[in-house]
Amino acid sequence: MSQKTFAVAVAPLLFLLLLLPSPGFSQESETCLSCHNAMKGTMKAQSGNMVDLNLDAEKFKASVHAMLPCTECHLKFSDASHASSGSAIPSDILSLSSKISAKFLSDPVAGAACTKCHEEVYQKVLSSVHGKNIIEKKQTDGALCVDCHGSPHYITKTKDGKSPVSRGYQVGTCGKCHGKQDIVEKYKLEENVMDSFSESFHGRKLLLGHTRAPVCASCHNAHDIRSKSDALSPVFGRNKLSTCGKCHKGANEKFVPAITHKRPGPIPHYGEKLLILLTMGTFAFIISHVLLEAFADIRDAVFRKKEGK
Amino acid sequence: MSKTAAATPGIPEEIERFNIIFRIQHVLMFTTFLILSFTGWGLKYAHDPEGLSSIWIRIWGGPDTAGLIHRVAGVTMLIDFVWHVIYLTYLFATKQMTINAKTTVIPLPKDIFDVIKNFMYFFGLSKEKAKFGKYSYAQKFDYWAVFWGMFIIGFSGYALAFPMQVSYIIPSFATGWIWELLGLMHSDEALLAIVFILFWHFYNEHLKPEVFPMSWIWITGKISTEKLKHHHPLEYELLFPEEAKKEKKG
Repeated sequence: MSQKTFAVAVAPLLFLLLLLPSPGFSQESETCLSCHNAMKGTMKAQSGNMVDLNLDAEKFKASVHAMLPCTECHLKFSDASHASSGSAIPSDILSLSSKISAKFLSDPVAGAACTKCHEEVYQKVLSSVHGKNIIEKKQTDGALCVDCHGSPHYITKTKDGKSPVSRGYQVGTCGKCHGKQDIVEKYKLEENVMDSFSESFHGRKLLLGHTRAPVCASCHNAHDIRSKSDALSPVFGRNKLSTCGKCHKGANEKFVPAITHKRPGPIPHYGEKLLILLTMGTFAFIISHVLLEAFADIRDAVFRKKEGK
Repeated sequence: MSKTAAATPGIPEEIERFNIIFRIQHVLMFTTFLILSFTGWGLKYAHDPEGLSSIWIRIWGGPDTAGLIHRVAGVTMLIDFVWHVIYLTYLFATKQMTINAKTTVIPLPKDIFDVIKNFMYFFGLSKEKAKFGKYSYAQKFDYWAVFWGMFIIGFSGYALAFPMQVSYIIPSFATGWIWELLGLMHSDEALLAIVFILFWHFYNEHLKPEVFPMSWIWITGKISTEKLKHHHPLEYELLFPEEAKKEKKG
């Protein structure tokens, strides 16, 4: 077979590529978006809180959930303007939705639907300090999926760089609560976490773009996050040895106190004051000496032209 | 001017002030110092991912590379310092160097009086400046600032670069605050060192009208006897007592 005949035989096959399904919305999503892409503003739901009606189709298309049909998560509609999808809601999702109803006032079923694909992670979150806060203490201001990952319609991969839980944004995302005065006081959280991190070597390196600098989840875990007084927490007692050891090979008990969110104790505090005093004293001496000497040299050159010079 | 001095019988035109080993130690010290200042500055003032310090660190190859450069330069500087101390010990042990009030770099009460005298001269309260031996108080200050810095910045830097090795020698009662203190020491004293060099050393050895653009002793190691007589009269008297006496009479 000559090269030409081979090309003639194979070339039409290339057109088959065009027939392959291209990534895009499902038929159902297209239908929903035909309205919700154009709608503006918010509406009061039955529960009383406001629901955003608009969905940015472009951003949705870029998300990891773009190929899912809307009813994958929106299993039922509380609102009379939409007919319910018909099929019954699975019992596990229904029971989960009632547990998290404190958090999701308008559509707890959609909030519970994440577990359909992300069951393992969801279970971790529910047993974490964040999850217990919602299902046991019934708090409304705690964190669940969307508080960290953003709207499920626009979720991108963590490595994408624009995700709120990516290396670049994660610290700020945790800071939405952990840097907020009223939340910190309400839950008696460690109060200096944001500043102590940004001033630490870890924080500074991360900010400059160091590729191995840690973010919050590097030490505290992501989904199964626990209070530092919980024995299963990676920053509880001796667990620190293996947690720090992930990056610092051979981390020992004298090394791990190096990183803490606590405010510096009296020795570093007054030590720094002493260093500042020493620095300022030295500056005062050298700057005044240099300036005075320069003026004296000018004075001598202009007014005191000595003989023999 | 130096030609007339050379004509003076019995006096060489120039003498050696720093031998080749001291000169190499000085070059190593200032190259590593500059590299350390440049790479450390970006980390000290890291406030904004798009800020100046981030751009500055990118010039040095990004934070990973800049950190490596900083560590290599730091270790080189410490080795230079250890070499200097060992060399001094050797010089003292073999009696090639002895302590003399007019040639020593050790601070003496006279230095304080010299400072007071010079300040009085600056204010017009004294007719003449202080007279120095081999090292003026400015030069002694320069030397001991580096020496002090080697302990404060050098040790803290070593501990921060190799925390695991250093952690074994840290007493248990200190682990709660020592790391924080080491970080503060390194960062604050580095700023002090940079400003000190920028003002004190640069003015005294580069910008002063009589040395501008720089004193060449760092590379030649030689000082002309004319300059020696002018800037270090007490050392001149020590080295050439006969000539100094004659000149005083004449």
